[in-house]
Amino acid sequence: MPTSLSVLVDALPYLLQGTFNTAVIVSAAMLLGLLLGVAIAVGLVYGNRPLRFVLGLYVWFFRGVPVLVLLFLFYFGLFTYLGLPFNALVSVSIVLGMTTGAYQANIFKGAMLSLPRGQFKAASALGMTDLQTIRSIILPQILRLSIPAWSNEYSIILKDSALAFVIGAPEIMARTQFVASRTYQPLPLYIAAGLLYFLLTWLGVAALRTLEHRLRIPGYTHHGNP
Amino acid sequence: MFRALLLFLSALLLTSGQSMAATKLVNGIDANFPPFAFIDKTGQPSGFDVEAMNWIAKDMGVEVSHQPIEWDGIITSLLTKKIDIIASGMSITPERAKQVAFTQPYWIIKNVFVVKKGSALTVETLLKGKKIIGVQQGTPEAKWLKEQIATQRFDYELKYYNSSPLAVEDLLNGRIDAAAMNDAPATDAAGKKAVQILGTFGMEQEDFGYAVRKEDKELLDRINTSLKKLMASPDWEALQNKYELNK
Repeated sequence: MPTSLSVLVDALPYLLQGTFNTAVIVSAAMLLGLLLGVAIAVGLVYGNRPLRFVLGLYVWFFRGVPVLVLLFLFYFGLFTYLGLPFNALVSVSIVLGMTTGAYQANIFKGAMLSLPRGQFKAASALGMTDLQTIRSIILPQILRLSIPAWSNEYSIILKDSALAFVIGAPEIMARTQFVASRTYQPLPLYIAAGLLYFLLTWLGVAALRTLEHRLRIPGYTHHGNP
Repeated sequence: MFRALLLFLSALLLTSGQSMAATKLVNGIDANFPPFAFIDKTGQPSGFDVEAMNWIAKDMGVEVSHQPIEWDGIITSLLTKKIDIIASGMSITPERAKQVAFTQPYWIIKNVFVVKKGSALTVETLLKGKKIIGVQQGTPEAKWLKEQIATQRFDYELKYYNSSPLAVEDLLNGRIDAAAMNDAPATDAAGKKAVQILGTFGMEQEDFGYAVRKEDKELLDRINTSLKKLMASPDWEALQNKYELNK
C-alpha cells in the first residue's frame, strides 16, 4: 500500500471524529441561528422603532465583522472577560450561531415581507392577538418559504466552521492539519478533508430538501406546476 | 493584524482574575511540531514535551491534559486561562519573558535552513541571493530573519506559514528556496521527505523552556523542581532517544 494511502487509512477514525465534531458545531450553530433569526426577523418587521434600531445594529455588526475576528474577540475576549467557561467547541458554536442568526434574520425578514399585508388584518379581524398571528399564521408560512435559502446558509456555515481550527476546536480542519504535520502527507489528507466537508454538505442539503417536500402544503406552492 | 489583536486582548486580560488551585493542569501544545508535540496515529497527543510533561505532572501529583492550540494564539490562551502551561518547544525569548514566566531551559535548539535534497544552494546564496525563505510565523526565527534584512542587508523574501511542515511542503512544491526552522523538526522532516538540512544561518542558539503565567509562582517552582528531577533521571535520555533528538 502506498504511504499516502496507509496514512489516510490510519487517520480515518481520527478524522471521522473530527467530522462528528464539525457536525455538532454546525447543528448547534444553525439551531441557535434559527432561534435568533426568527426572533430578530419578527422584531425587524413588526417591532417599534427603537427595537428595529437595536436589532439592525446586531445584524450590521455580525454581518460586518469577519467570523475569524469574531472568534478571537469572543473566545479570548468576551467569554473570558465574563468568566464563562466555554471551551473551543462551545465558543465556535455560539459565535457561528450568532453570525448565522444575523443572516437568517434577513432570510426570514424577506419571507415575511413577501406575505400579503392583509393576512395580519384578517387575523386581527378574527380576534387574534399580534403574537398569535405571528405564531400561527406568519411563522408556518415563512419557515416553509425559507428552507431553500436556509440550506444555502447551512452550507456556508459548514464551511465557515473550518475557521474553528485557529482556536483549537477539534474539527475536521484542525485534525487534518495535525495528521499532515506528523506524516508530511498534506495532499491526500486535505483531499480527504474536502470530501468529508462535501459529504456533510450533501447530507444536510439533501435532508433539508426532503424536509421542504414533506412540509409542502398541496396547492399552496407552485412546485412542478407552472 | 490578528497578532496585534491578540496582544491587545492579552494586555487587557492580563490583570483580570486570580489563579486557581492546580490539581488539573491543561498543557497547550502546538500539535504541528513533531517531534516535540504532535498527534500520534491513535489520535492522542504525543511527543517529547508531552511525555516529559506527563512525567513532571506525575511527579507533582497532578493530572495533566494536552490541548492542541494554534501557535500564534498560544500565549494569549495561557494568559486568558484557557491553558495553564505551555510545554511545546517554546524558545525562551526576552519578548515572551515579558508576558510569561519560563522554567529553567531544558533543551538547546539551533535554527537551520532546510533545502530540497541535492540542492546546490548555500547558506550564503540564501541570505544574499534574492531567494525566498519560508518560516513559521510567530517564531523567533521569523522575527530574526525579518530583522536581518534591515540590519545585515540580506535580500531574501520571507514567506510565512502557520507550521513548519507546511513550509517544507511548499519547499517541495518549489514556491520557496529554503525553509528556516528548528533543528529537531528539521531532522524529522528530512527523515520523511526529500529534503536535507543545509546548516545554521547565523542565528544564536536558543533555549526551550516551559511557560506558565507570571502570577503562578508556586506552580513554576513545582514544575522546575520536577523538571530538574526528570533531567537527572535516566528517563530523560530514554525520552531523547525515543524521539530521536540525539541524531
